Amino acid sequence: MGRYAIRRLLQLIPVVLGTTFLINYMVWQLPGDPFAGRCGQRPCPDSYVSAMRAQFGLDQPMLVQYGHFLKNMLTGDLGVDFNQVPVIDQLGAAWPITIRLALLAVAIEAVIGIGAGVLSGLKRGGFLDNLVTISTLFLLSLPVFVTGYLLQWLLGVQLHIINPTVSDEATVSELIVPAFVLASINMAFTARLTRTSIVENLRSDYVRTAVAKGLTNRRVVGIHLLRNSLVPVLTFLGTEIGSLMSGAIITEGIFNIHGIGGMLYRAITGQDYTIVVPVATLLVLVYLISNLLVDLLYGVLDPRIRYE
Amino acid sequence: MSEPTAMQDLLKAEGPAAVPGLGRPDRARSLWRDTWDILRHRKIFWVSLVMLVAFLLMAAFPTLFTHKNPEYATLAKSMEGPSADAWFGYDLQGRDVFARTIYGARTSIIVGVLATLLTVLLGGVAGVLAAYYSRWLDSVLSRVGEMFLGVPYVLGAIIILGTVAPAQSSPDKVTIMAVVIVVLAVLGWPILMRIARSAVIQAKHQDYVQAARALGAGPGRIIFRHILPNSLAPILVYSTITIGSYIGAEATLSLLGIGLRAPVISWGIAIADHTSYIRTGAHALFFPAAFLSLCVLTFVMLGEAVRDALDPKLR
Repeated sequence: MGRYAIRRLLQLIPVVLGTTFLINYMVWQLPGDPFAGRCGQRPCPDSYVSAMRAQFGLDQPMLVQYGHFLKNMLTGDLGVDFNQVPVIDQLGAAWPITIRLALLAVAIEAVIGIGAGVLSGLKRGGFLDNLVTISTLFLLSLPVFVTGYLLQWLLGVQLHIINPTVSDEATVSELIVPAFVLASINMAFTARLTRTSIVENLRSDYVRTAVAKGLTNRRVVGIHLLRNSLVPVLTFLGTEIGSLMSGAIITEGIFNIHGIGGMLYRAITGQDYTIVVPVATLLVLVYLISNLLVDLLYGVLDPRIRYE
Repeated sequence: MSEPTAMQDLLKAEGPAAVPGLGRPDRARSLWRDTWDILRHRKIFWVSLVMLVAFLLMAAFPTLFTHKNPEYATLAKSMEGPSADAWFGYDLQGRDVFARTIYGARTSIIVGVLATLLTVLLGGVAGVLAAYYSRWLDSVLSRVGEMFLGVPYVLGAIIILGTVAPAQSSPDKVTIMAVVIVVLAVLGWPILMRIARSAVIQAKHQDYVQAARALGAGPGRIIFRHILPNSLAPILVYSTITIGSYIGAEATLSLLGIGLRAPVISWGIAIADHTSYIRTGAHALFFPAAFLSLCVLTFVMLGEAVRDALDPKLR
């Protein structure tokens, strides 16, 4: 186990290097002048452009720039944006909000998704099963922003149950509807995954043995069936935490939440790449590390899986 | 789950569902024959097929559905609600929402289908090569795939599109559609590579492949005549669903202002144009959104029907 963890960590290094290089390359090297249009209605004076290029190291070769980037990341120096505001301060304000939103979304996915999946899996072919199958089909087909605008319009504009937009504090109660929107597609996946897993395990020998021993239904389902069926579901939920955070770009845009996604989106439309690169790097790291943790957790949850 | 009789249902083994048409011994059976026999008895297949034909007709012959010009704007009618004259009302510029929604089908389907084809091409070639030649090529391709998978989808698309075609620029119709198609495929190929790779690895060790090799068949013949036809099923299922998700992705990118943009007519753009008018003109936003969702639903349902029919585990 320990050796496996170390090997996986080592394998992560080339992927992290490659991904961050990809981001750096795409942002800084693709055509388009990052300083064009930063001076209002007139073209930027050469002195400004050359000073900015020197400050952000754009006059150096790509590999040297990438080396600087790695050094800064390792020392925790995220630099300043084009307006000379430290990036780390902006991150500090936005990060907690996005974490709150993502955790809330995972909680909603887990509770509703697993609940619906278990209920429909236990009674395959029943009314509830068909209901869950059809509603997950619809949820899977609704793009996140359609669900978002629909709920915003219905609950916020028409019924006045919620505020259409979230305030700066972004309290948990305000974030419930956005988190539901963010979770919607994964919730459907979770329900389906749970259902498949339950249906498969219902046929297994240990369930038959448990029933033959005369255990109560509650015990067979709760202790024997559920524990084993939830392993793949938990790993799915874990791997999705990372992508939820980048998926939050759209949800945060709709509900005007000042989190990481909104920050990244504003930086991209404003072409402030000094924010784009560190934020994107951070999101990628969260994504990769959560994937790794889930892989390791898999062995703990399911001892049948042996690591070489 | 507390009533004791429920256990009876619980334990009723989920034996293979009786499928009419299977088990008739008089016909030569192939995977595709079986698949068709299962498919034509599934309601979900026919429903999705009818919807697919409707959307394809919309894309090919929009004039069958509307005689209005989607570009024609009457500012005086801006944001007028649905009426007998204009079923879906008018948008911000006073253009007919119904006409624009119908014409939007073409863009979405072209982008979805072409991006999927490109993904299958990129991922399929990489997957087949990785699986067939294994060794170092497999390691290299798998690592490269992981790097692309390491970038979350929306994030990657935003970064590439934000630099190649920033929101401020206004490229022409064909260029921007090509760019969006390439971006979707470039970010999506690793998943298809994994699917193709595992399917080919499974097929590679079958006896018939060994037999072909023993008979002196070259790699080209083995791959195209023996391995590919037998590993097509998972690729087909995944690509059907992918068309749907790419259509959704295209709309998402257009919504963010970095995907397609005017003068292209697309559901995503129509939604993006009216997000700020949700209080006064929700119709201009929700009619295109409904068509978009229905179109995605069509491909998701079709993919599910095909998967259920092709997956031997469910038989």
